[in-house]
Amino acid sequence: MTRVRIENLVRSYGAHAVLKDISLDIADGEFLVLLGPSGCGKSTLLSAIAGLDQVQAGRILFDDRDVTRLEPSAREIGMVFQSYALYPTMTARANMAFALRVVGASRAEQEERVRWAADLLQIGHLLDRKPGQLSGGQRQRVAIGRSLVRKARLFLFDEPLSNLDAKLRTEMRNEIKALHERLGVTFVFVTHDQIEAMTLATRIAVMDAGVIQQVDTPDEIYRRPATRFVADFVGAPAMSFLEGELVAPDRVRIGENTVAVPDYAWRSAPRTGSVVFGVRPERVSVAPVPGTATVAARLRGIEPHGADTLVWAELSGQRLSARLTPEAAAGLPQSLHLDFEIEGVSLFDPDSGARL
Amino acid sequence: MTPAGRAGRIGLYLFLVTTALFFAIPLVIVVLTALKDADEARGASIFLLPRSPDLEAFSKAWSSACIGRDCNGIGGRFWNSVVITALATSISLLLASLNGFALALWNLRRAGLVLGLLLVGAFVPYQIMIYPLVRMFAVGGIHQTLAAVVIVHVLFGLPILTLIFRNYYVGLPPELIKAARVDGAGFFQIWRLVILPLSLNVAIVAGILSVTGVWNDYLLGLIFSGQNWQPMTVSVASLSATASSGVPEQNVNMAATLLTALPPLLLYLLSGKYFVRGVTAGAVKG
Repeated sequence: MTRVRIENLVRSYGAHAVLKDISLDIADGEFLVLLGPSGCGKSTLLSAIAGLDQVQAGRILFDDRDVTRLEPSAREIGMVFQSYALYPTMTARANMAFALRVVGASRAEQEERVRWAADLLQIGHLLDRKPGQLSGGQRQRVAIGRSLVRKARLFLFDEPLSNLDAKLRTEMRNEIKALHERLGVTFVFVTHDQIEAMTLATRIAVMDAGVIQQVDTPDEIYRRPATRFVADFVGAPAMSFLEGELVAPDRVRIGENTVAVPDYAWRSAPRTGSVVFGVRPERVSVAPVPGTATVAARLRGIEPHGADTLVWAELSGQRLSARLTPEAAAGLPQSLHLDFEIEGVSLFDPDSGARL
Repeated sequence: MTPAGRAGRIGLYLFLVTTALFFAIPLVIVVLTALKDADEARGASIFLLPRSPDLEAFSKAWSSACIGRDCNGIGGRFWNSVVITALATSISLLLASLNGFALALWNLRRAGLVLGLLLVGAFVPYQIMIYPLVRMFAVGGIHQTLAAVVIVHVLFGLPILTLIFRNYYVGLPPELIKAARVDGAGFFQIWRLVILPLSLNVAIVAGILSVTGVWNDYLLGLIFSGQNWQPMTVSVASLSATASSGVPEQNVNMAATLLTALPPLLLYLLSGKYFVRGVTAGAVKG
């Protein structure tokens, strides 16, 4: 049970700043996902929390105790790596008991803890095998088991599912979520996969270029992205972005078209001028006849995805996509009348990228 | 295959066979001569086959040939070589593994600089360091003892062996070390429990290099070992310089040479695969 408090963390390799003044609070028992593209600093941040990487400035507190300079072993954490990192010459049992062995715990205690973790993960029958004799999913289970055997107060996961195939990934995802609910301890989980982030997290911290862009619930991240980067990174198919101009507090002009944004939830007082108009593809629909709220667009292409169909359209020279049912997408004419639901619209400042 | 290609292939084999024969000549002479008796070895051409081959010369070389005034053969010196080689190799492998681990997987400040110095160390000629070492051992009171000869072998072997271990360890996943650190293991625990058990293959490679190097050494044995721990190589040289009855016994000298050369020879034959790896280990990463 650990509250994690990160204050103004800075880490750079030479001239390259990987973490730029990161501050983050993680509540007790939370499942926090660090989400971002590769190179955004999320793994470095996790390493810093683990104590595997020294930081140049800032503090890390576990329950108000400053652990910034403590060795990983003194932080009472469990960690699971993408590559599993099982000790190849040891059996699964010895791998799991390793942490207790190095501190000189009794055989009985080792056996008891390993047994407990093995039961929890249903890997009791694998204990005498070496990592080379285990499948990817089994290795990952043993690796999780190894992190459980120590009585850790905080669990760190560094892209643990990336090496698994799609089906197994879904399965392990559910298991990790169930594990979190069962143990009730704090989890910090690094991934670049937004589905993992959305399904697992109680809160997501989206990172880019060494900066946390937004920390929020998955729902908030998706519906009200704080920056254009977050809006673009989260969501598949991705949000469409159109350059426009706010001509009145409730109207955006895009080329020769005007889109009404009557009930938009403004973060700050609306100011006229250029804006980036973002819209989620599933919140765009095609109207059969032009209406007062529709805008004219040209059909540019159709991508069937099975469950739904992505329709590409061009609006005043800018491309956007609409996610329609296959039936709605069938037999569309060349000239379309698009309708935007205000819940799917986000407006951003074109310079700072911040949500308006 | 075209006629030209076949001719080329034949030429290639001809060249290889000739070269192999050329390099085999000394070995052939040693074997042939060692199987002859003393008179025949002195008299006939060195290329003639022995008239009645026997192993007389070998047993004499092993147990009763005279080295200076000591007529007990080189058998005893064989064990000197075994002890020196075993000690020097095991100590240098352990230290090289430890060094290689620290250089490859521990976040060492200036690891690159240390690596560069090691490379220099691997190529500095011994001769430069002999006199200072002699002085140091003399001052320390262990000149011409087993300890002295083992220490010099370890010192001279370490740079290249460390490089071999380091290059192997660089290929290991760094997460292994991170996981062990999170599990609470310290530097020496990680080395002993995680790294050493993974090192069998590279230890074989490095071990072959070390064993052949130490066994075949003459110069360091001559200078640092002293009378009691004289290795076989030095004894063979003394043996052939001793002519007990006034006439050199070439068959015995050859037999002694062969006995001395046999252990590394067998090692090459039995571990050719590993040896090739050992030769390339310093050059190729991983």
